[in-house]
Amino acid sequence: MSRIGVFVCHCGENISRTVDVEKVAAEAARLPGVAYATDYKYMCSDPGQSLLKKAVAEQQLDGVVVAACSPRMHEKTFRAAAKAAGLNPFLCEMANIREHCSWVHENREEATAKASDIVAMMVARVKKDRKLVPITVPVTKRALVIGGGIAGIQAALDIADAGHQVVLVEREPSIGGHMAQLSETFPTLDCSQCIMTPKMVDVANHPNITLHTYAEIENVDGYIGNFQVTVRKKARSVIEEKCTGCGICSAKCPQKKIPNTFDRQLGTRPAIYVPFPQAVPNTPVIDRENCTWFKSGKCGVCQKVCGPGAIDYDQQDQLLVEPVGAIVVATGFELYSIAEKPKGSPIKGYGEFGHGKIPDVIDGLTFERLASASGPTGGKIVRPSDGREPKEVVFIQCVGSRAREKGISYCSKICCMYTAKHTMLYKHKVHDGQAYVFFMDARTPGKNYDEFWRRAVEEEEAVYIRGMVSRLYQKGDKVVVMGSDIAVGVQVEIEADLVVLATAVQPRPGADTLAQKLGISYDKYHFYSEAHAKLKPVECATAGIYLAGACQGPKDIPDTVSQASAAAAKVMTLFAKNELEREPIVAKVNEKNCVACLACKKVCPYGAVEEKELRDRQGNLIRVVAYVNPGVCGGCGTCQATCPSKSVELDGYTDEQIMAMIESL
Amino acid sequence: MTPARNQLIYSYYPGCSLHASAKEYDESTRGLFKALRIGLVEVPDWLCCGATPAHNVDELLSLSLCAKNLALAEEVPGDLAVACAACFSRLKVTQHKLADNDDKRRQVEYAIAGQVNLAKPVKHLLEILARDFGLDRLTEAVKKSLSGLKVACYYGCLLTRPPEVPQLDCTEAPTIMERVIGAVGAETVAWSHRLECCGANFTLSRPGVVLKLSSEILASAKAAGADCLMVACPLCHGNLDIRQKEIEEVTGERFDMPVFYMTQLLALAVGVAPNKLGLESMIVNPQPLLKKKGLL
Repeated sequence: MSRIGVFVCHCGENISRTVDVEKVAAEAARLPGVAYATDYKYMCSDPGQSLLKKAVAEQQLDGVVVAACSPRMHEKTFRAAAKAAGLNPFLCEMANIREHCSWVHENREEATAKASDIVAMMVARVKKDRKLVPITVPVTKRALVIGGGIAGIQAALDIADAGHQVVLVEREPSIGGHMAQLSETFPTLDCSQCIMTPKMVDVANHPNITLHTYAEIENVDGYIGNFQVTVRKKARSVIEEKCTGCGICSAKCPQKKIPNTFDRQLGTRPAIYVPFPQAVPNTPVIDRENCTWFKSGKCGVCQKVCGPGAIDYDQQDQLLVEPVGAIVVATGFELYSIAEKPKGSPIKGYGEFGHGKIPDVIDGLTFERLASASGPTGGKIVRPSDGREPKEVVFIQCVGSRAREKGISYCSKICCMYTAKHTMLYKHKVHDGQAYVFFMDARTPGKNYDEFWRRAVEEEEAVYIRGMVSRLYQKGDKVVVMGSDIAVGVQVEIEADLVVLATAVQPRPGADTLAQKLGISYDKYHFYSEAHAKLKPVECATAGIYLAGACQGPKDIPDTVSQASAAAAKVMTLFAKNELEREPIVAKVNEKNCVACLACKKVCPYGAVEEKELRDRQGNLIRVVAYVNPGVCGGCGTCQATCPSKSVELDGYTDEQIMAMIESL
Repeated sequence: MTPARNQLIYSYYPGCSLHASAKEYDESTRGLFKALRIGLVEVPDWLCCGATPAHNVDELLSLSLCAKNLALAEEVPGDLAVACAACFSRLKVTQHKLADNDDKRRQVEYAIAGQVNLAKPVKHLLEILARDFGLDRLTEAVKKSLSGLKVACYYGCLLTRPPEVPQLDCTEAPTIMERVIGAVGAETVAWSHRLECCGANFTLSRPGVVLKLSSEILASAKAAGADCLMVACPLCHGNLDIRQKEIEEVTGERFDMPVFYMTQLLALAVGVAPNKLGLESMIVNPQPLLKKKGLL
């Protein structure tokens, strides 16, 4: 005979406002098998939990039902309390009378009756509960970081410094990401290269970090603590071990006119190249699309001039399998392009502002390269069209951002600050120049940020015009910008030498494909979704995968670095244990009945079902059955619902329990 | 009238301008379509669409006028062909606004004492020529190529805006006019003010505004090296052609820029007699230009 305890929570007034909790407790007390029933204002509080513990001990309860909120909220809390009282935690169940009852109903009598029904069902179920023991799985104490920008670099260094192995995978030939492209950074105006390149070197030299550049994630298998990640190392056509980074190959390459993507198409580079002089690793890569050897089979100059013999035209892509326990995703962002409408994107595209046809209309990242000491002009600010120093520069904010009619509703967060920075950099280099900024509102929250913006306006005399630009067009060698000043209520026309657009921040192309490989979720813009905006901001809903940087949403460098370190801390927390505990709510196969139709294998979203051969003592095959790997099983129950012979059952949700719940009504 | 097989036939809504100030647009449209063997049947008893002022005063009136015209157009065969940009815009807006608003629809039905019928496609002449008739066939029909004539195609406000209503071409960077006139050999220039407003109805109340806006359009076209402007709207034509002398007086700049209706140039190219195009009623005399280019 079971002795069940029922605890009905008021949840302050959240439940008791609509449900007569005393009546629910009184009715529960009359249910067969219920030995004790009571109500309390806050069951989750310390006195509430003590009440539960005390009752378990005093009443010798062998099962507990807490009628309160959703199990998502406090199941763990009450199971821990039950465990502390000496009960198996899986003999504690929650009846959800808040989200499923009080919050969605108004009629007190009917809601009370429904709450009683929900409690009765859970009492019927808890009586059939079995003691379950958490499953433990080993942890591979090795982390994978995807993306070698500042987020990935910071996370990798933090984890490696804690003594764990890290595999860092970067798609481009060098790490550094967008931060390596920046000139000076707000709000301190220290040069990006000076704070970035030492970190890049640290990554390359760190004994605990394995760096794979020019590589992409091909496939991800496994689960928290035990991922198997296949990395595709794209063929560089250069043998990394042999190359000394002398640079002769690049210098002698006859192809010289390929637009330099690192310099935002402002300069050119050869077909065998390192993206920028401070690249890490300093190993060149052959751009096979533009290389004469790969296009026509002639040339071969780099191979001839390479002393160490590092050029290998026959190099193939390599597939490496890396076992890791945790993954940090730090794939970063790209800038929204006004020139083209992205294909298949919910974003409608801009199309205005010169369509990418007017050469002196550039985006913020291009301006960074113009202003950067390591850029194509050595930091001299000139116009792309004729190399002349621009005397009037118009900056336009919110291009694509906060434009619902264009398909992007979010604020890109970093542009107000970087445009203010651009006006300063410009003024520092062109003393007699004038910067104008068309803006909607200046959003400068952050330490020393508003002060920085005010400095741009008050000391560097950038003219801020509140209002949007309707259009711009080329007139002679000028770009006429037509806009409105809504503070004064007049139309403004400025004949500018250069126009810089602060275009929207978007996730990297292919962010959705990577998310599908990783099994993590993303929003409609393809930014990755965190598990909880406030309480789990760096975790994904998929266990063992963490987020850092602008792949989750627009972020500046300080925020990115903080989040990267937070993600690293989460990884270290995971690696602090030798074994992971997993909820034992997993599917089990009744091998006696299983006919090995493997319908369960087809439907399993986690890939947890395998085939298992049953053999006799002599090793002869008797038959094949399905087997659920408890380490992989997510406990969704799809297999149980599918199995035609009723051979799979989910612990805690057996057919017997479900039937008992239904019959209790 | 029974249409022959494969022959295009349209019901035709000329609108008030084409019977008055823009007679040459009407005349050249009929001439062009006759030369291309496209049938035009004028909607019987049509009334004013309300043009650009009505909807500012009384939306219901404006919608009802167009709904009535759409109902009348049901009596003749073919999709509805419209030449005037303002009429085109108002008819399309009416279809757009009544399509998913039952309340307004009921009010309009009460006002016109009849059914609202939105099924008939309303097409601008540009659409008919570029899509239904086809640019290839247009090129085939050329008798006198306009090659050597540099045309600045002027869209104005209404042909492509607002984006969701006319659906004629891209709102920001349309090319339909250039494609159509390019098909008969003319050279089109790239210029910045293709989509700017000419000042429209302010021609009566605030002529100063019109002079400024229209002068910028003319200056931009001239700077781009155009010989002439091509328009599809009687109001634009009025501001740019009739007021051009005045603009020249105010700005001191001489434009001498003939402003053609698109159909005048097209009809000329497909061999319609020049004296059937209403060239003589243009204020800026196009004869010297056309003679110079060997088109007369």
